[in-house]
Amino acid sequence: MAPKPQHHPARARSIIFLYMAGGPSHLETFDPKPLLNRLHGQRRPKEFGDVKYQFVSGNARLLGTQRTFRRYGESGIEVSDLFPHLAGCVDDLAVIRSCHGDMVVHSAAQYELFTGRITPGSPSMGSWVCYGLGSESESLPGYVVMPDPHGAVEAGQPMYTHGFLPAVYQPTMFRPGARPVLNLDLPDGVNLPQRKRTLRLIRELNEATVDPHDQEFHARMNAYDLAFRMQTEAPEVLDLSREPRETLDLYGIGAEPTNDYGRRCLLARRLVENGVRFVCVVSGGGAGNLQWDAHSDIEENHLRKAAETDRPIAGLLKDLKRRGLLESTLVVWGGEFGRSPEAESSRGRDHHNLGFTMWMAGGGVKGGQTIGATDAIGLQTIDRPYHFRDVHATILHLLGLEQNRLTYPHLGRDERLTFIEGKLIAEVI
Amino acid sequence: MTDPTKRPARLAAVAIAIAITLAFSSAGPIAPSLVAGDDGPHLYRERIAPVLKAQCYTCHSAASKKLGAGLRLDSREAMLEGGDSGPAVVPGKPDESLILQAIRHQDGLAMPPKKPKLSEPTIAEFTRWIQAGAPFEGSGSSTTTTVRSPLQMAREHWAFRPVVRPPVPEVADREWIKNPIDAFVLAKLESKGWRPAPPASRAEWLRRVTFDITGLPPSPDELDAFEHDRSPAAEERVVDRLLASPHFGERWAQHWLDVVRYAESEGFEYDRHIPEAWRFRDYVIDACNADRPFDRFVIEQLAGDELSPTDRRCQAASIFHRIGPIRRNAGNPEIALSRNEVLTERTDIIGTAFLGLTVGCARCHNHKLEPISQKDYYRLEAYLAATQENDINIATEAQRKTWLAKKSQTQQEVKALKAKLKGATEAERARLILEIAALEESIPPHPATIPAIRNDPKRRTPMYVLKRGVWEHKGEAVGPRPPSVLVPDSLPELPPDVADPRTRLARWLASPSHPLTSRVIVNRLWQHHFGVGIVKTANDFGTHGDRPSHPELLDWLAARLVDEGWRLKPIHRMILLSAAYRQSSHPDAQTTAVPARDDPENRLLWKFRRRRLEAEEVRDAMLSASGRLNPKSGGPSVMVPVDRAIIAALYKPSQWQVARDPAEHDRRSIYLTAKRNLRLPIFEAFDAPSLTSSCPRRESSTHAPQALELLNGRTANDLASAFAARLRRETRGVPSQTVRRGYRLALGRPPTPREEALALEFLRDGPIEEFALALFNLNGFLYVP
Repeated sequence: MAPKPQHHPARARSIIFLYMAGGPSHLETFDPKPLLNRLHGQRRPKEFGDVKYQFVSGNARLLGTQRTFRRYGESGIEVSDLFPHLAGCVDDLAVIRSCHGDMVVHSAAQYELFTGRITPGSPSMGSWVCYGLGSESESLPGYVVMPDPHGAVEAGQPMYTHGFLPAVYQPTMFRPGARPVLNLDLPDGVNLPQRKRTLRLIRELNEATVDPHDQEFHARMNAYDLAFRMQTEAPEVLDLSREPRETLDLYGIGAEPTNDYGRRCLLARRLVENGVRFVCVVSGGGAGNLQWDAHSDIEENHLRKAAETDRPIAGLLKDLKRRGLLESTLVVWGGEFGRSPEAESSRGRDHHNLGFTMWMAGGGVKGGQTIGATDAIGLQTIDRPYHFRDVHATILHLLGLEQNRLTYPHLGRDERLTFIEGKLIAEVI
Repeated sequence: MTDPTKRPARLAAVAIAIAITLAFSSAGPIAPSLVAGDDGPHLYRERIAPVLKAQCYTCHSAASKKLGAGLRLDSREAMLEGGDSGPAVVPGKPDESLILQAIRHQDGLAMPPKKPKLSEPTIAEFTRWIQAGAPFEGSGSSTTTTVRSPLQMAREHWAFRPVVRPPVPEVADREWIKNPIDAFVLAKLESKGWRPAPPASRAEWLRRVTFDITGLPPSPDELDAFEHDRSPAAEERVVDRLLASPHFGERWAQHWLDVVRYAESEGFEYDRHIPEAWRFRDYVIDACNADRPFDRFVIEQLAGDELSPTDRRCQAASIFHRIGPIRRNAGNPEIALSRNEVLTERTDIIGTAFLGLTVGCARCHNHKLEPISQKDYYRLEAYLAATQENDINIATEAQRKTWLAKKSQTQQEVKALKAKLKGATEAERARLILEIAALEESIPPHPATIPAIRNDPKRRTPMYVLKRGVWEHKGEAVGPRPPSVLVPDSLPELPPDVADPRTRLARWLASPSHPLTSRVIVNRLWQHHFGVGIVKTANDFGTHGDRPSHPELLDWLAARLVDEGWRLKPIHRMILLSAAYRQSSHPDAQTTAVPARDDPENRLLWKFRRRRLEAEEVRDAMLSASGRLNPKSGGPSVMVPVDRAIIAALYKPSQWQVARDPAEHDRRSIYLTAKRNLRLPIFEAFDAPSLTSSCPRRESSTHAPQALELLNGRTANDLASAFAARLRRETRGVPSQTVRRGYRLALGRPPTPREEALALEFLRDGPIEEFALALFNLNGFLYVP
């Protein structure tokens, strides 16, 4: 998977997708709605229109937020008190308040966020990006997913995978713990000198019969060299023990509740630093309330999830920036949808796909701005709506790829990530 | 390209209505086309017309609601006459043709409006077409006004015309011919002045044919027998033995399971297991082994329940409709939306698997590339309108009762434990979670069930043309009818409540005169034997699919299949015994320099195509070499041990329950549970399909994770140890014998002196386990020559 030329000059070389599984509320984070608090406990006024939720019925009552918002940085972007650390980075963020998707249930919305389709079977963004750009690393996989150790999300493995693209573009799923990559360790009872001899035997036996012009067989033999490099060099990249204390603290490593997400964010930095193209760091997994899926109590859920991720994310942005990596690393934050202005079971919020927030930073993104808007209660986008496919088109663009040229033939169509053509988010680029 | 919500979908419906009207009104003789150069009309039909249709017809055709600039682009006359600004096309003069200025964005013109400019290659094709005189198959010369509809034109497409058995061609080198297949292949080669490759060695051929037919390597006994059988009928004996082997079905069923995207769980959020879906896998294996006629095979899968509602085999065949992905949601699943999704999934797979047409695109709009209208799509779906799930209980009442009791008791206990989770400390939580998982695992297997389907007339979904595919946007009501391009215009729709609708669809598909069914299946056979089909796009025989490399051969084989009573084994046999199949995959590079340059894809078969083993074959071959293969056939699927982190990635880890009997872990790969949300790492690394959409042909990629899987992976190391133990047992650890035996078991041949020397050097102090593992990692193990 050697590097391939871009379609146009790239701003970003790598991307880190901070995936907030379950759907974080825009109303508690980046999209303050004073009117919602004034209408708390009332039914939604008719003029806001009608929407479909997964659970909440039409006669639910609006739920005000208990969060307080403040303006931060030179840009004065409003951020809620859930994210005190991230608020300090706000001048780097392009906060898109007008995102929308087509589905209001997890699995289908997750497929759409990751693959552009509401059904499984299509390649994820990470696979498309590797297909388009190849990898710059000789010893690391091009596309890495770090799931939440609490468990899976609804759409499961198929959401991250390469779909109909060749298996070379599959994600490498990191496992929790000190040895995150499957098959990178020698089997029990085999030592490295022995394994080196075995590899030499494999090469020599292959060479004994190979035609010197046989490209496919030589490619396979070279894959073994690469595998060996991965085996010997990757553990060093994955080893956080030599990071200075100051850096660990920046990410909240060694302290709870930030230790786990902090470690994974730091790992993400080390991966992009070493040429990995696409890293997805998932917050949330397993049962719904261990994700951002706050059906029963938005306060309890979001205070907990924000506390786990705020410092690590801010640490990641600051660390990338001071190393000069933020310019070439696109960081994207978001979930598969936002949450309903109406209450579910009195203190929770239901899924909601018609207007919610994502943000982008680094990688050539114009930071320090908010883009688009939802209506006065955060129900629907009313200004500059951007669909997932627009987010996809923009991500590809920043990486130097053109959505209509990044195609792969499948079942009679030249498929692409954006399905129906996406529009670039002009404000961002 | 543009936001579909802004495009009135009714236009499309109007367009097809008009096209059909035109089709009725133009019964006259087909007008001669204006031919200028060989590829003129072809260029129009293949490259120009689809662009015009997709990009321009909304505003510039007879079907346009409001004609743009008074210009129509749907006939040659109209283009020559032009619109408000003058002629759109001046034949032979691209630079004077307004249409080119418009698509080139010159002189203030820019078409299509508000869309990206057409691609440069497309613009170049328009230029070439106009340069060639703008030949237009759809219209007559200036003396006639006959206009043929796009549908009539599409009926001329090779794959939609009847199969006519062509004569077997004459060739110069009759010596080479073993059966008629060879005459077709050689005629093409001779027309280029090329020679076929020399035959593969006997050992290579045996390895090739054995993997091809059984997915397993030849056993040492089979190698011996063939080496000693020097009679002229030796090859025939091998082929007949292999085709009669139960392993034949275990290999060839997998090809069909790929096409119908077989899996045993529903995918999406819950990835719920479909009860006993493995019965469909066994049905397909059995159909292959019994050489059930393909027309019967089609009918049983599509309509087994209608055909013979109490027959177990037909019930199992109808599981076909149940094996697709299904989205189930908590909360308020919208019944109509879900129903629409289920019917869509079931319709699409029929198009792909049997018709070899990607009908799915027509769900939301008239197909941009193929002559399938949206109405055609919903008419096809109408055959399935009354189809509902029907889990047939085949356990005894006592078995069922026991199971239900145990299940509900366990569920109660789980519920009680879950209640305790709230307010538990972290330590208690961890213990409770383990207890819950253990309980969920303790539920015994589902009592015997066939997840079949049946028609429920009371719950029949009324079928409409759905605008943009959205179920709330109902258009015209429709009844069952095959796609218009494949039937006469005069054929009426069936009444929506017609009895046994799927039998009717199946009988139409399986009729000997159907132009697609026989061609599509013999092409699939050819593809699996030769690596690439005569038509490269095995799921797409439409006007934008690949054109056949050997059209006469394809038709000859299709006709032969029908003559053989739709039995596939005689076709396999003929292919396997052909000289074309016997060719070497590595002929001398100097003598093949010209074909290698002119036909790098080897479409004309100037040599055989080497292939890498498919994912299942890699595992099965390791099992076979190590002597651990459990040859048991059929029955419930097996879950094998996998890395804990992979199970943890399931939404419900308790869904993965490893088979208790370790011998079951060594079953052939086709018997392992095909779960949509958990694919085994070794299968994933070696390009096994995604299990979510039809896979007509597997990729064969080469990358480092494959090497890591075979070097460090659990399966490879476990089986290398077993292989080493076998070698020790069978050779008493004598190094020279270990090397020879190892090569024979893993690569099906003796080592060369150089290989033997290298291996012996290694074994002086290297462990046999590592030697065995090395064999699994050799090109000679992973590829079939």
